[in-house]
Amino acid sequence: MADISKHMTKACDMSLGNAFVPVEYYTSPDYFRREQDMIFRRAWLMVGRMDEVPEPGDYIVREVPTLKANVVIARGKDGQVRAFHNACSHRGVALVCQPRGNTMTFRCPYHAWLYRIDGSLSAIPGEQDFPHVDKAANGLAGIHLDTWGGFIFLNFAQEPEVSLSQFLAGLDVMLDGAPFEQFPFCIRVTDEIDCNWKNLVNAFNEGYHVAVLHNKTLRPAVVPKDNPHLHYLDVKQFGPHSTGTVQRNFDYNPDAPALTWVYAQMLPTSAPDLDAIKQGRAGFHDHPGINRLKIENFGTETITVFPNISIQPLANGYLFYQFWPISERRMRTEVRIYSRHAPRTLREEYAMASTLAATRDVVVEDMAMSRLQQIGMESGGKTHQQFGQNEPLLRMFTRDYEAYLAGAAM
Amino acid sequence: MADPQSLPEGFEGLAPFAAVWGQLHTQEERYLQRQQSTMTQIRDFYDATAPRLDEIFCHLEQFPMDALPDAEALLYRTALGLTEAAMAVEVFGQPCVPYAPFPHKMAIQWSEHC
Repeated sequence: MADISKHMTKACDMSLGNAFVPVEYYTSPDYFRREQDMIFRRAWLMVGRMDEVPEPGDYIVREVPTLKANVVIARGKDGQVRAFHNACSHRGVALVCQPRGNTMTFRCPYHAWLYRIDGSLSAIPGEQDFPHVDKAANGLAGIHLDTWGGFIFLNFAQEPEVSLSQFLAGLDVMLDGAPFEQFPFCIRVTDEIDCNWKNLVNAFNEGYHVAVLHNKTLRPAVVPKDNPHLHYLDVKQFGPHSTGTVQRNFDYNPDAPALTWVYAQMLPTSAPDLDAIKQGRAGFHDHPGINRLKIENFGTETITVFPNISIQPLANGYLFYQFWPISERRMRTEVRIYSRHAPRTLREEYAMASTLAATRDVVVEDMAMSRLQQIGMESGGKTHQQFGQNEPLLRMFTRDYEAYLAGAAM
Repeated sequence: MADPQSLPEGFEGLAPFAAVWGQLHTQEERYLQRQQSTMTQIRDFYDATAPRLDEIFCHLEQFPMDALPDAEALLYRTALGLTEAAMAVEVFGQPCVPYAPFPHKMAIQWSEHC
């Protein structure tokens, strides 16, 4: 690639002039309430993978902390996957108490009201005392569910304003057939931190910080000589969602015996598998929607799904980050590292534990900065953050965020 | 009956490290141990185990991975401590991730469904 700079998308290339963003968006309880109502109760929210419930009767329980929702996702006898609020129709008990399992019925542990796997109410003990309860109308409260690419999305609106496909606005088309299902094995890392959720959304939407904050972790592996501030390349917009291409140093060869030993056992999720690339079996590498520029030192495509997801397809799997607001100054981060298979040997298990530690430490760096950022913003000396020309996705997110809070259609 | 705290033959010298890292059963615990250790402690552990990684795994490979005898299980848990110690020694040059709260805990879950 001769001159990479022409592919560095700037804010002006996307007509994004909103360089100053009020700190209030990040510190005000009123903005948090508006986010709950105008974004999280209206948008399609990704909560899991279909392969977490592969068989009829399989179920998982998921929290959506932003909405205080506790959700049961279950595959029925008919093969259909449904979502319900985990709340008994009798007196509200969150009746499904295991995080996952396989069953054909859910029985409330309080008074034994019994539900089928499809959410319908099948039996009320002492039914003669509930003549006013129509069983057919008293199943578990459903939540709209749809899927794309094997990912499960929920919509908490009474009636979704748009279909999932309309919501994804072409991102789903560009990434159609991306081989997420080739990487079913997952390690999940979660944490709650004292900061606004958008601090972390923003951290994943710019590469400007990588050479500084991640100086010892990511920088040597990913910041190339011809792109020292790690501009995202070929930024693409799909409604409020986006993708951008990120490079990597293929000649990265750390002087680190223990980490090098790990590479020899099983390549970390992020490291390019040069043999596999040559042979055309390198997962996401050959998908036409990924690395459209065909840069030789392709690292990842950073995929942002509004409002709170970042997905990074890599050579040997993909990383999935999710950021849930709990209040204006507290959030939950969930990181999932997806790999081709569970460890088959102790060497592979050790390598995966090592990759997990390294990936976690990079995220810990981002979370640490997001926390310091919150302290600084709440101190009250500054009324605005300033987003550079090299931070176009932060401006784009803010533009769409403001529009949804003001009531714009999804 | 062998002492469940004894290491396999040839690895007895790692006993001081097995007494610390070998007692930990999860990555969450190892991450906390790394943060609570001094750099000298971490470096001593690293210097004693990192050069022997291949030797350790060549020994462990003689046993089924899900049914390690007590001595081998202790050796393996000790070796896993190095996944955290190596980040401190080879990457950060200090036990903790800079600017992170201390102690910092993160929940970790390996998927069961595949």
